[in-house]
Amino acid sequence: MALTAVSIAHAAAPDFDTRVAPILARHCLDCHAGTDPKGGLDLSRRQTAMRGGDGGEAIVPGKLDESLLWENVADGSMPPKSKLSDAEKATLRDWIGGGATWGTDPIDAFQVTTERRAGRDWWAFRPLSRPSIGPGGNAIDTFVLRELAKAGLKPATTTDRRVLIRRLSFDVLGLPPTPEDIETFVLDDRPDAYERLVDRSLASPQYGVRWARPWLDLARYGESNGFEFDEFRPTAWPYRDWVVNALNRDMPYDEFARKQIAGDVLHPDDAASIEATGFLVAGAYDTVGQGQLSIAMRKAVRQDELEDIVSTVGQTFLGLTVHCARCHDHKFDPIRQVEYYRMSAAFAGVRRGERDLTPLDPDVDVAKRRLTELDAKVSVVEAPAWNKFRASLKLSGNPPIPLASWDFDRPSANREQALLATLKGSARLLPEGLNVDGKSGYSATVPLMHDLKAKTLEAWVKLDDLNQRGGGVISVQSLDGSSFDGIIFAENDPGLWMAGSEGFARSRKFGGPPETEAVGRPIHMAIVYSEDGTISAYRDGKPYGKPYRSSGPVVFRAGQAQVLFGLRHATPDGNRLLAGLIVRGRLYDRALTAAEVAISASAGGNGPTPQAVEAALSPAARTERAGLMAEIKAETAKIKGRDRRAYVVQPAAPEPVHLLTRGNPAQPAQLLATGGIAAISGPSAEFGLAADAPEAERRIRLATWMTSSQNPLFARVIVNRLWQWHFGRGLVDQSSDFGFNGGRPSHPELLDWLAGELVSNGWSLKHIHRLILTSKTYRQSSRLDPSLVKVDADNRLLGRKSPQRLDAEMIRDAMFSVAGNLDLRPGGPGFREFELVKAEGTAAMFYRSIDAAGPESSRRTLYRTWARGGRSGFLDAFDCPDPSTTSPRRPVTTTPQQALAMLNNALTFRLADQFAARLRREAGDDPAKQVERAYRLAFGRNPDAIESDRAARVVIEHGAAVFARAIFNSNEFLSID
Amino acid sequence: MDRREFFSWAKDGLGATAFASLLLREGKARAGVVGEASPPCPHFAPKAKRAIHICLVGAMSHLDTFDYKPGLIKAHGKPLQSTDRPDVFFGQVGLLRKPDWEFRRRGQSGLWISDLFPHIGEMADELTVINSMVADTSNHTPATFQENGGFRLNGFPTLGAWLSYGLGTEADDLPAFVVIPDARELPPGGSVNWSNGFLPARHQGVVIRPKGEPIDDLFPSRKLSPAADRAARDLAIEMNRRHLAAHGNDDALSARIRGYELAARMQLAVPQVTGLQGETAETQGLYGLDRPETADFGRSCLIARRLLERGVRFVQLFSGGTFGSPRRNWDGHEDMKKNHSQEALRIDKPVAGLLRDLRRRGLLDDTLVLFTTEFGRTPFTQSAANVVGIGRDHNQYGFSVWMAGAGLKHGMAYGATDEIGWKAVEKPARWHDFHATVLRLLGIDHERLDYYHDGIRRRLTNVHGDPIREILA
Repeated sequence: MALTAVSIAHAAAPDFDTRVAPILARHCLDCHAGTDPKGGLDLSRRQTAMRGGDGGEAIVPGKLDESLLWENVADGSMPPKSKLSDAEKATLRDWIGGGATWGTDPIDAFQVTTERRAGRDWWAFRPLSRPSIGPGGNAIDTFVLRELAKAGLKPATTTDRRVLIRRLSFDVLGLPPTPEDIETFVLDDRPDAYERLVDRSLASPQYGVRWARPWLDLARYGESNGFEFDEFRPTAWPYRDWVVNALNRDMPYDEFARKQIAGDVLHPDDAASIEATGFLVAGAYDTVGQGQLSIAMRKAVRQDELEDIVSTVGQTFLGLTVHCARCHDHKFDPIRQVEYYRMSAAFAGVRRGERDLTPLDPDVDVAKRRLTELDAKVSVVEAPAWNKFRASLKLSGNPPIPLASWDFDRPSANREQALLATLKGSARLLPEGLNVDGKSGYSATVPLMHDLKAKTLEAWVKLDDLNQRGGGVISVQSLDGSSFDGIIFAENDPGLWMAGSEGFARSRKFGGPPETEAVGRPIHMAIVYSEDGTISAYRDGKPYGKPYRSSGPVVFRAGQAQVLFGLRHATPDGNRLLAGLIVRGRLYDRALTAAEVAISASAGGNGPTPQAVEAALSPAARTERAGLMAEIKAETAKIKGRDRRAYVVQPAAPEPVHLLTRGNPAQPAQLLATGGIAAISGPSAEFGLAADAPEAERRIRLATWMTSSQNPLFARVIVNRLWQWHFGRGLVDQSSDFGFNGGRPSHPELLDWLAGELVSNGWSLKHIHRLILTSKTYRQSSRLDPSLVKVDADNRLLGRKSPQRLDAEMIRDAMFSVAGNLDLRPGGPGFREFELVKAEGTAAMFYRSIDAAGPESSRRTLYRTWARGGRSGFLDAFDCPDPSTTSPRRPVTTTPQQALAMLNNALTFRLADQFAARLRREAGDDPAKQVERAYRLAFGRNPDAIESDRAARVVIEHGAAVFARAIFNSNEFLSID
Repeated sequence: MDRREFFSWAKDGLGATAFASLLLREGKARAGVVGEASPPCPHFAPKAKRAIHICLVGAMSHLDTFDYKPGLIKAHGKPLQSTDRPDVFFGQVGLLRKPDWEFRRRGQSGLWISDLFPHIGEMADELTVINSMVADTSNHTPATFQENGGFRLNGFPTLGAWLSYGLGTEADDLPAFVVIPDARELPPGGSVNWSNGFLPARHQGVVIRPKGEPIDDLFPSRKLSPAADRAARDLAIEMNRRHLAAHGNDDALSARIRGYELAARMQLAVPQVTGLQGETAETQGLYGLDRPETADFGRSCLIARRLLERGVRFVQLFSGGTFGSPRRNWDGHEDMKKNHSQEALRIDKPVAGLLRDLRRRGLLDDTLVLFTTEFGRTPFTQSAANVVGIGRDHNQYGFSVWMAGAGLKHGMAYGATDEIGWKAVEKPARWHDFHATVLRLLGIDHERLDYYHDGIRRRLTNVHGDPIREILA
């Protein structure tokens, strides 16, 4: 053959790294590398390549005839599918012949794209190009026309104004246009009438409501935990509102992204920025798995949680399936396993829960500070009264001030800091205290508002009998009951008080005497949990047995823990319930000293009575005190109702992140620091962080790297999403995967041009919307041209506008809208189409679906509460996705269940009635007029004579509501041309 | 529009799926259509055309039912011989406890089945028992997700959804995938257990309630005269026909019209299936409908048979509700005897009746019956270390399930746990293997039934699984 004619002696041996390795990477390593290389031959490493495979030596330096590799390349049998060029063959030959000197080891297999996988030269990783555009017109049209012309096609004509305003209105606002809007637009003869309409629409607050939905689909936004318990998340919605507001304000997209990843640490004083982090934790959460006893299984569940976060962040913002590299290097994209773990290190401190953001409200902050001052002043004024009180009881100091207190014997006297405790089961509030019966009665508070580490539990309690075993007097527990500390009676030994804990993790015998008196009178018990793990008990103010050291203290997180009375810990069954009378309870967020406990016990939880205070003060002091109290009342009123809580990221100390061999938590390899994905051109994926870098640094650096204007993927991915959400299909088909599997863009130049526009216009999403909406491409008719179908059945070239069926939410909103009963009020807690049902004896929640007919339910569907176990049959029928998984693009299906839902659901009948009433109200009693009005409202046009006659007959015979039901079931109502 | 044009247009997404799914009965190709399996299923000649899955929630004890362990009887009252402390869910490792029920050899095959299931025991020669199952977690709900969908997480399609996606329905008036929950309560996680995951929503299981209104929205939610109901439907259909004509006979639109026709047929078909008046007293008795303790599950089993007869692809029955107290599923932590007696009584006769009925009707020749639970229970009791307690904890390391029907070797037990039934030691089988086997029997190569999501061509079997060839006939 020709090649052999070239003398080896004349060819200088080619450089391995620049010339040989790329050939091997492109053509050989797909099969001849990895854990199970074909033919036992691994060509990615010097040692294995030189050793050869099952067939013998592949490379014998300097000896072509003995090198199997050359033999197979020379006769064309390898590579089996792609063919090497003569030049490539010559390079390999010269390399082997010249001594087969190896370079970088192992070969960087990610450097080039092969037939099976993307390398770093994959289009999506390359910097944005600045494509040239011809003069005039909207550049979108230039690119689209260019591709159409190549295929010999012409664009469709511009559609008429009635179709256009309906298309635009659903597309931008998710709502049908009103007949009045339609007529105004149709008659508007200003040259820029359409552009004005676009601007007006984009400025509407309903824009954010419509466009938040696809973003929440990506965020796998759900308002419950999923898994076994599926606990409700009553404060998940602030994240939803944050998205709506951010879109309406046209928050720059880079900021929009940064805040969702690190808003809480970037702007710790801004409640909204903290709410943005709802994104990271919007997915399902396995409470049972995270709390199980087996540490190995718990680690696996935590790894699953981190994968959920890495996966969602990677796909949403970068269009990369980084999570596919959890167990091995990515099979299709140049993402190393180590990079998966480096990215997951950014989230190693991400935990979740409800945060109280109220203190961040500046007004609340001012009021709270003022209250502290006022409290101090009151103490000074009241000092004589307290001195008298102390003297009368011979106390050595003032009683300690608890974090929260409960005086069950005088409920009206509860101070502000008492946490609301509700009675459960057979529990009763008697004048002398909280009565619990040991069978089902107990009391539980709302979640704590502060983290609790060192702590003191204190109670005054009477027991029904001394033979009972295991009941709790006062406990603080994590909401699921998996962790608790409590004053427990006789769980392990008859008659002995003990510090209860989950699985006795922090429980030992104090060595105090068995209880003998508590049936006759309330006794005082306190257990003190010190910072160093020491646990001490006191009875009637005196030490009870001896303190001991435990592994504690356990931290109970704000929003995730509560106080129980009469119950050891959830769930309320077995011997966990106490039979007795709980008079008072105190919770302190610190370890009290022995002296403080003694004072508290002597004071009996009392202070001077209001009368005693009055009596002890001079008239002037009394007046001053009254003034202070009035001011306290006023300040307190200011704070009331301004609670701001949100289910968001609750950062914790990051756990060390190791590379896990084969993804197995039981096989940790090297310790890793946070980093990005090196294959992406632009900003460096090396953040220079240490493996033990602070939590905040990690997420901030990752967010900064990701949102850099030099990161081409970040901009490309979002403009492609916008395109998809406008046209039903993206320029890149798989909008969350710009890697090898996602394919290549239909209009690469257009994609890059749009991305460039976004970056150079301050990351304004509305700017991109405006470009798309005002393009001729968008305004094309949807009419099906048979010649177009032959050449471009998929309409990839955009020779017309593909018709679309409305999304589930738009359908429901449109029904309310035409019925004249859509409530456009923005924000706040969602309406519920379910009843919360607590299964007996478990923390599990069920969401029993109900026909929510109340006024709340006429809000836009975005404001429906999306519990994972509370899906809607009606919305599901129209392809509403499972909120447990990210949904970059909703499938559109047609099923008999859709017909059944639309025909028979209670919603249809109720709204048909309202629609009919509206028709009578607005069009009078004339059936023909009612039909006309209905057509204009629902379809944006007048009926023709046949349609009018036909419908009017139904109105006359059966009433307008029957006609309205038919309209809801019409294709014209559900589709946009 | 010719056929090629039709299918190309169909790919555009909108009407396509609809049309393809509506045309299933005529055996039209489904490949390449959004939301449809590609390549089309079945991949080879199926042994079974349909399946019924009885899913026991809470973890049935293999030691007290299908896994006979004389070694455990001998070791009763002794501590577990193990170097590592067992990593069990509630952390308590009591002494070993023998089964609470006697085991007997049953049928010609001599399969060992305990007295907990006397009726199922009579059907021993129909069963293919797998005694070496292993699960990846001993946490109920993730384990149940894995049992049904191959993954431990929310958001993945379940077996029924995959079959709906891969095979569609043989009926055009009933859905492909039907779920009948326990009459007492939904399983933990509720509808997540029959989720479509990332598959199109129409592959989600359709719940048929064994009592009351069988399906949501099957009939008008409000009383109205047949004439008024008719008038609205007729008007809608006419409007849709005119609209269709004005839109060049767009396929998406005509598919929607067809959807209304099918909906009307469903309205006829569903009550026919759930109304059991036509069944003889003998048949009703066979399923235990005549006794209060078996009537609930018997009814579910009988409805399931009727659904299968009418072309439904996959019916899933749940035995057991959520966790908590009092126990209302198979989670026998506190008192095995009380708990398993209560649960087994509800299903033993109905399940045996179902097998018998399917057999005599010839349906078992091309129907698959699956009887599974998320994991097993420990041979030692959940109690203090020196005590033989009366409850058993979760055991992911070894447990039993069975199959019956088409394409299987009957009356056999496959694989084995160790002497005391603690861990699978002989031919361990994971859920991926189980699923691969089920798919194979239904004519599907588990490596080729996939759906692109999250950057991966996702499969029911993830990247694992081999059909268990030894149990295939």
